[in-house]
Amino acid sequence: MKMSFKSIHVFLSLLVCLLCGAFVSHAQVLIKGKVSGTDGQGIPGVSIAVKGQSTGVISGANGTYSITAGSTQDTLLFRMMGYLPVSRVTGNHTEINVKLMAALTDINEVVVMGYDDKKRTEITSAVSVLSGKRLKDVTANDVGTMLQGKVAGVQVVNSSGAPGSVPDIRIRGIASLSAPKGPLVVVDGIIGGNYDPGDVAAVTVLKDAGATGMYGSQANGGVIIITTKKGKPGAPRFDFKATLGRRTPNDGHLNMMSGNGFFNASKELYRDTLSGKIDILKFYNERPRELADRNFNWVDNAFHSALVQNYYLSASGKTDKFTYYLGGSYYNEAGTFKNTGFQRVNLRTNTTYEFSKRVSVSNNINISASTGKTYDYMDLFYTYLSVPWDNPYDDTGSPRYVDANTKGWWSRDKINPLHTLANSDHSTKDFNINYDFIGNIKLTDWLTFTSSNRVGVGTNKSHSFFSPLVAGSYHGKGLLDESSSLYYSGISTNLFKFSFSKGRHAISGLAGAEFQGSWDELLGGQGKGLPVGFDVPAVISSEQQLRGVRNHSVMQSLISQVNYNYAEKYYLTASYRVDGTSAFPPTHRYAQFPAIGVSWLASNETFLKGNPWLNLLKLRATYGITGMQDIGAYKYLGLFSLSAQYNSQAAAIPDQLPNQNLTWEKTHQRNLGLDLGLWNRVTLNVDVYSNVTKDLLLQVSQPLSVGFESRWENVGQLRNKGLEITLSTVNVKTKNFQWTMDVTFGMNKNELAGIGKPVYQTINGITQIYRDGGELYTFNIPRWLGVDPATGRPLWEQVTRDNAGNIIKRSPTSDYGQAESQETGHALPRFQGGFGTSVSWKGISLSASFAYSQGAQIMNFIRRFMDVDGHEPYYNQMQPKSDWSRWTKPGDIATHPSMQKAALSTEISSRYQEDGSFIKLRNVSLSYDVPMHIVQRLHLQGLRLALSGDNLYTWTKFWGQDPEVTVNRADFSMPGVADFRYPANRQYLGTVEINF
Amino acid sequence: MIIKKWLLLFLCLICMAPACNLSVLPTDALNTENVAGTPDGLPNVMNGCYALLKNNVMFNGFIDPGQNYLWQYYQFSDYAGDDIVCGQVTEHPLFYSFTYTHSPDQSNIRFFWYISYKIINGANTVIELGEKIPNPSGAVKQLIGEAYFLRAFLHFNLLRVFARPYTQAPYGPGIILRRTTTDDAVAPRASVKDSYNFVVEDLKKAASLMDQPRGSQYASKEAALGYLSRIYLYMNDADNAIASANAVINSGRFKLESAEGFKTYFQKAIASSESIFLIAQRKVDSRGKEGSVASMVYSDGNSGWGEEFASPSIRKVMSEHPEDVRWSYILPLKDPATGVVAKKNGIEIYYITKFSFQDGDPNLSSPVMLRLAEVYLNRAEAYAIKGNVAGALADVDEIRKHRGLEGALYNGQVPRNKSLQETVLQERRIELAFEGHRTFDVYRNKLNMVRDYWGYHLPGLQETDVNLAVPPTGYANITINWNDPKTIFYIPVDEILANSACKQNP
Repeated sequence: MKMSFKSIHVFLSLLVCLLCGAFVSHAQVLIKGKVSGTDGQGIPGVSIAVKGQSTGVISGANGTYSITAGSTQDTLLFRMMGYLPVSRVTGNHTEINVKLMAALTDINEVVVMGYDDKKRTEITSAVSVLSGKRLKDVTANDVGTMLQGKVAGVQVVNSSGAPGSVPDIRIRGIASLSAPKGPLVVVDGIIGGNYDPGDVAAVTVLKDAGATGMYGSQANGGVIIITTKKGKPGAPRFDFKATLGRRTPNDGHLNMMSGNGFFNASKELYRDTLSGKIDILKFYNERPRELADRNFNWVDNAFHSALVQNYYLSASGKTDKFTYYLGGSYYNEAGTFKNTGFQRVNLRTNTTYEFSKRVSVSNNINISASTGKTYDYMDLFYTYLSVPWDNPYDDTGSPRYVDANTKGWWSRDKINPLHTLANSDHSTKDFNINYDFIGNIKLTDWLTFTSSNRVGVGTNKSHSFFSPLVAGSYHGKGLLDESSSLYYSGISTNLFKFSFSKGRHAISGLAGAEFQGSWDELLGGQGKGLPVGFDVPAVISSEQQLRGVRNHSVMQSLISQVNYNYAEKYYLTASYRVDGTSAFPPTHRYAQFPAIGVSWLASNETFLKGNPWLNLLKLRATYGITGMQDIGAYKYLGLFSLSAQYNSQAAAIPDQLPNQNLTWEKTHQRNLGLDLGLWNRVTLNVDVYSNVTKDLLLQVSQPLSVGFESRWENVGQLRNKGLEITLSTVNVKTKNFQWTMDVTFGMNKNELAGIGKPVYQTINGITQIYRDGGELYTFNIPRWLGVDPATGRPLWEQVTRDNAGNIIKRSPTSDYGQAESQETGHALPRFQGGFGTSVSWKGISLSASFAYSQGAQIMNFIRRFMDVDGHEPYYNQMQPKSDWSRWTKPGDIATHPSMQKAALSTEISSRYQEDGSFIKLRNVSLSYDVPMHIVQRLHLQGLRLALSGDNLYTWTKFWGQDPEVTVNRADFSMPGVADFRYPANRQYLGTVEINF
Repeated sequence: MIIKKWLLLFLCLICMAPACNLSVLPTDALNTENVAGTPDGLPNVMNGCYALLKNNVMFNGFIDPGQNYLWQYYQFSDYAGDDIVCGQVTEHPLFYSFTYTHSPDQSNIRFFWYISYKIINGANTVIELGEKIPNPSGAVKQLIGEAYFLRAFLHFNLLRVFARPYTQAPYGPGIILRRTTTDDAVAPRASVKDSYNFVVEDLKKAASLMDQPRGSQYASKEAALGYLSRIYLYMNDADNAIASANAVINSGRFKLESAEGFKTYFQKAIASSESIFLIAQRKVDSRGKEGSVASMVYSDGNSGWGEEFASPSIRKVMSEHPEDVRWSYILPLKDPATGVVAKKNGIEIYYITKFSFQDGDPNLSSPVMLRLAEVYLNRAEAYAIKGNVAGALADVDEIRKHRGLEGALYNGQVPRNKSLQETVLQERRIELAFEGHRTFDVYRNKLNMVRDYWGYHLPGLQETDVNLAVPPTGYANITINWNDPKTIFYIPVDEILANSACKQNP
């Protein structure tokens, strides 16, 4: 009853206002004008209101408006998101033209937070927003690449340049060991979803539990909220953007030897250990002189420059009741490696219909289809390692067939990768539809019911084919492996949102329930015995194998949040979420995720308000809990997997140990933050945080002698502590000239605790240790001590211990077997971030952005094949770094051992571990906004031309391909290990943007 | 009134949520608790035990096509011996078998240890659930017997790889014995003697239970007895070895291949009456280049890596009798024009074909674990221990008669330049070459391993150092003494770290 009283009260107040408005309408004045930006271009969609009155209008397509003011003393307020508000007294004017300055810190900016929107002032959490040019300087198929170096505390790692590949994103380090470590993606307020980067209006990154707590169990890795474009008031607006360019492979410091270089390097194999001289006669006998003149560059032949195209067209607008946005885009990137590429078509419609002032319905549909050609690891491997003395082409210019019986072929495994590439195909196709239905019912002025629902359906198909013509395992038989998946999901979020204010108190919030379900069905098969020239399953004649499975997962949640502020100075946000999941046993399915945040907007205090230099001063603090359950289904059950056969009969193999106590992993997050705005020129955000993930979902090592590697348990803690700084400045700002700078810095340190016995993970002989007090992804390998100047033998560190296990001596040894594995560094950077600057004069602007990373250690695994002291005389070798040297005689201080005495020198050790620090010039772009008078003569609203270059240069000591090395733990991939990779791309693009 | 409507709506939404069922079960697995509850559960799990002897499974986070029991079974035996020469340095840990530079963290021993115990877990599941069935049928008893057999088979192979031979150190550390699925995870290694006794007891039990032979693809009474004859020999228990061998030979179920038949025996081992127990592989099990046993020792140019060859040592032993049909499985790669044997990295290529050509596939075979010829040779060696010259040589001649050496029988006469044991062991070496016996036969008889030929077992060897005209000198590793600690492998690092009771090998 109390509530309804309040609502009546509010309603009555509003009514009084309206009546007053009507009453004073006698003395009204009609004012016309135009709102434009500093460049003179009209700005549509600006809200123009008479101060103290509820009436208002919106500027039209070219920025023009007309409004009726009450009197000459009235003040007109011009407001637009992203611009500084302007106020003008009407006076006797009938025409008021206003120029809006783009705001660096728009404290009234509305930030999309997922379940609700908040004014920036209201936010108590660490939140970053990116939009517009700052987001889209880089052309990419994914938003992750666009975020690199731009948000403090967000690590974006592009470890592969393969077409269609997406980077790994880590927010505030790594909070989980077993579950996915990337952020939760929310599109248009609903968890999950698909989008095209062209349709993205803004990206919000939620970094602390004050904000992510709302997403409870799915938010351990942070949350990225994607907001797609919506129609704006005014006439229909059309935007067209075309980007066209070329990309080339960027192998960094990795260069393979030329024919002559490899020839000369091979002489070292013939050095006599006694005399120290090279037995040149034997060398020429076994490596004929003409080899020196054979120089086939495998890398240049397998890679080429490739075309990138991106076209985008959209129409948007808003009529009285109907807001619409239609966007379509086509993206096509050819791969730099032969026989690879990726293309994608995306269509989106976002529409909102207001049935009445109380009821509106949004329907958003996204359809995307993509197709790509990917690559086989072995083809890359052999491209780099084939010896430049071998010519892969026959007399007709076709790739030559080579096998173990081919004579005169020098390369080790007798494979011609170009021949394999020409006779194989690895492709994927993906089709996906999302439909969002969002209903808003304004029940009263203070209470709204929102139902947000999405259904998604997708299908994916992969095709891997080796013709019977290829050399190797599949010769004469071929191999075809196809699989397709059908996946569908549904999510429904139903929330009541309320908001009231009385006097200086304002309270708002939401409460409701959410349901999520996903299903997928996989079907695949493979077989051999293919006739040459055919590549569909129907022609398979032998070794048929089928596979397929259905999976299902369910989650349900209760969600609530309350926001309170007093006098727009003191803010409090509290949220509480309960999640239930099918991933855990019945007794442990539900978990609670509370969060609280407070902030003090000091700049709104009377003693600071109106201060000319201090625009913003805000202090924030949050505490909250997020969780993780996403380790895959059924992990608590004891299972015998029916995945095998013996003698053509069904076979079940021991697969998993049961754990009926398995439950949620939870991260307790604390954050302190400061937001500062000075002279409307400088904004500074500083955040410090301390996150502790407890009850880590971990596959706890079992003695292998029980027949299982591990059992899922909740064990141990992972602590992340860090500091984040974002600084944006407007260094110069005049009517025609502007110079801005942005710097981001993120530092993170993690530490494991409570695990007990260390867990070791080994891939390709490289071991990483997870132990109490240790950092994630720490290499645990023998330490390399260089070369013994006396003998030319490799040296490792031998550790001698007493009976109690204490180290009593560290000494060099040439016996690899005596070298003890020890911690030699970790794969995560100590700090990272980016900086950028932009200069604009009239319509011309030039900008550059950089990303940097410091302190990560990389295991440069490819050197185990291409820097091997003669162990592999028939693999091409990498060109050595200038300060490398080879031991040839006693007394030599060398980095590389004698080829004759190099036993086990290439075994895993810190020898190939390198500093992965880098500074990368991510993007340079030059753009020109064609002046309005020319544009209008062309009957356009806007025209922009731009040239840009991405990934232009990297400063690093790392002697390999790109120092951005995977942070992902997957099949054959270990964080910090640089295996053979599809090289990164350097690209040069031209863009035309037209608005009409 | 209005309030009531909202409340109603709100309540509806809240009520809607808990209605969904959060219990979801996998579609492709048996829940352990219900294995015995489905009609095919027990046979499925038993088949799973056999399947794991050949399949690649997830280990350390991914499925490595090069990690499977069979392939590694041969890496730890013959690659460390003198029958196979290493023709190429490789990053793969199989290389350490040649060089004796083992480490506790090499991936192949870790997988082999793991998969062995995984199969043991499956076998124990069959035993535990099977023995709960009241009045079991013959078919169920057969299954339980097979489970006992596999449990023994796996423990025995672990013993050979990770523990010193019984003849050298019966009271030294053996292996961890897993008797039930609920054994304490932390458990010490039993002594070698206790381990062998455990294996013997399992095999006796297996022999007593199995009465419904299902072909050489599955364990049988005779498979258990045949293994007993070998294991008693490893224990130097000649009488029991002879008795067990007699039981197999006299069962009449098996017959030696003729000389002609032996030339294709390994291609058709499943159908052959010489086979007692083998790991059956079908066309779909062909593991290609990455994981087939044949891949390292044979290539048709494409099918395999073809990096390890029949050694000069075994070829020398066989060189006396070019007519020996066992040469059929040593195939030199010759230049068709000149007839010169091709070399890889300076080492002559003599491919080994015992693991190829089932169904014509160069990578497919059903590796034979036990065949009648071995049982004869087990008995021959046991007779030799007892000094029974006639018995020993009669068994050796029985083999030679079936291998194209009718003209070179011993007829009860030990050759002048050899002892009886040497004669028996040489026959065993030639007959069972590359089949996972030689290394163990050498060390259990306290003989040294001599590899005085060129190959990449010689540390730091470069192709340019190879000179086939003279034998290599001055390299470490030419002779490995029988009591060298490196003749056995390290217990995998994972076990040592997670099982505090388990002691590492020196």
